[in-house]
Amino acid sequence: MIKVLATNIISPLGTDTEQNFQAVRAGKSAVVIREGWGTAAENVAVGAFSKQQEARMAIEGFTAFESMVIRSVQEALSHTKEVDINSPRTIFILSTTKCNVEELGAEPSGDGAYLAPGATARKIAEYLGFATAPIVVCNACISAVTAQILADRLIGAGKYDFAVVCGADRASTFTLAGFLSFKSLSSVPCRPFDIDRLGLNIGEAAATIIFSKADGKGWTLAAGILDNDAHHISAPSPDGDGVRRVVETVLEGFDAAALGCISAHGTATMFNDQMESKAIEAAGLSSVPVSALKGFYGHTLGAAGALETILTMRALDEGWIIPVRGFEEIGVSGKMTICKDWTRTDKTSFLKIISGFGGCNGALLMTKLDAAGESPVHAGAGNEKAATDLQTVHTVSLTQDSATLDGQSLEVSQKGKALLTELYKKFSCDYPKFYKMDVLSRLVFIGAQMLASRENPTEADREDRAIILFNKSTSIVSDRAHIATIADRESFFPSPSVFLYTLPNIAIGEVAIRHSFKGETSLFILPRKDEETMAMITEATALGSGVSSMLTGWADCPDEDTFEAELKIVKRIK
Amino acid sequence: MEELVKQLKEQIIDALNLEEITPDDIDAAAPLFGEGLGLDSIDALELIVILDKYYGIKLASPADGKAVFKSVNTIAEYVAAHRTK
Repeated sequence: MIKVLATNIISPLGTDTEQNFQAVRAGKSAVVIREGWGTAAENVAVGAFSKQQEARMAIEGFTAFESMVIRSVQEALSHTKEVDINSPRTIFILSTTKCNVEELGAEPSGDGAYLAPGATARKIAEYLGFATAPIVVCNACISAVTAQILADRLIGAGKYDFAVVCGADRASTFTLAGFLSFKSLSSVPCRPFDIDRLGLNIGEAAATIIFSKADGKGWTLAAGILDNDAHHISAPSPDGDGVRRVVETVLEGFDAAALGCISAHGTATMFNDQMESKAIEAAGLSSVPVSALKGFYGHTLGAAGALETILTMRALDEGWIIPVRGFEEIGVSGKMTICKDWTRTDKTSFLKIISGFGGCNGALLMTKLDAAGESPVHAGAGNEKAATDLQTVHTVSLTQDSATLDGQSLEVSQKGKALLTELYKKFSCDYPKFYKMDVLSRLVFIGAQMLASRENPTEADREDRAIILFNKSTSIVSDRAHIATIADRESFFPSPSVFLYTLPNIAIGEVAIRHSFKGETSLFILPRKDEETMAMITEATALGSGVSSMLTGWADCPDEDTFEAELKIVKRIK
Repeated sequence: MEELVKQLKEQIIDALNLEEITPDDIDAAAPLFGEGLGLDSIDALELIVILDKYYGIKLASPADGKAVFKSVNTIAEYVAAHRTK
């Protein structure tokens, strides 16, 4: 368990948590209709900063993304004297889906290295004075919940005393174009859970939470769980199975009657909201008021899980449940209690739920503890379990001209991307979808397929098998391919299948679907291939509830024909 | 029409990365979704991009395209009737 020391939100609605809460309290929304956006000609409703706000935020020598993150972390730090950011016991965790991608060119060049998320996080961390190497969480829409759970595990395992978690993303043309091609953008302010909802709005923000070890006082992350529904890379399981499982696990031993509200994902897409309603009903939470904040901010992507947690804490401090802005009439079939107006409560616990592309889902149980009062949190909650030993059972190593399985080098004739096709045939995968994947997904898919060939078939279809991957170059091959399709207004034809693979965790989703691995799935980006950090995160993940084995390792594709994967299956020793 | 069908097949193979499939492998009368090529919801969105990019036809959603996207032949008929470029 970890406690919240300080928070910040920088968004179009304000530059600190208080300003944001007061704006939301006054019913304001960051989402406005703009005529065209970047090279997109269509009208879009977007929760974006004004030019004046951007100018005020800018820091010389830093990009707009970096400036926003730096200011958010600095403002959060100004609220606490406890944290020494120069200490080797303090870690910076950046949560982002697309980081600096708007600065990237379509053609391969040196910009890929210094704009990579790991390099960006290191630049920010050095400027702010952190002494430790940062970790970037890139886990689609659930990134900021994943980041908070990582903070819980690392502090719980005694690796660090403090964690500064910042979630941030920009409402770039890159992202907007992608969601346009998915036909999932609403051209008017979004309406979560409403019968007339037309899709989501993209928003932008940076949201920071500073954590320390829990001491029984104040806002506390009591438990956090992730999983994968292994259903489809861009559509959630219609029955909400993945969300239901994380909700049930996170609430084990907790009296749901103590929940003030559920802070739902509520993106206002047809599929997401319907799925969440089914999950909430299936988990027996139909009577708990549901709040959702996308109507105020749009979908802030890598910031969402932090921003929405912060604002819900702030509202409950004042005894309020924030209503679902834009909601009028129920448009989902699962039984749920949607909070339509500002509602009073004296409860100080809530559930944050979230889902993302690649099939990943997450849940956090947040509760405000009072030293004098009775703790509603059950003993043994959270991730503070005894350290476990991990045993490596199978390994695979792939480069553009070599393949090694369990230490045995395979004879191969092809190089680069063609080598992956050769291996696809060699391991008779019979999965034509392979040809639609980008090179990073193909690499991870083939690696997983080779490992599976050494395992008993009963190892598939498991809820206790996690997939935890690391890389350096994010999804840069697909990023550049997507940029090429949106370069100018005359030839603006973004492709949904190219955009999908600009989320590097999709590679993990492909494997989860293929083998029906339904444990947690996360992707972390590091400034360099750092075995020590990878081992630390893998071990911390093993502390997570329900994980008994993992597919984990490094998978990096800096360009179409250059790649390196070192993947392994590890198991917990009882 | 035959030329348009061939062109559409090539565009579909290219856009959907149907490696190892040639235009001759695609039966222009066969269903594109479910059976046949086994396309899915993302492929449907990709077909919308093809209509926009090469023929100047804008479809608002995959639901609007349901009848159009039955087979390569139905796409060709729709394109011939509605193309603006």
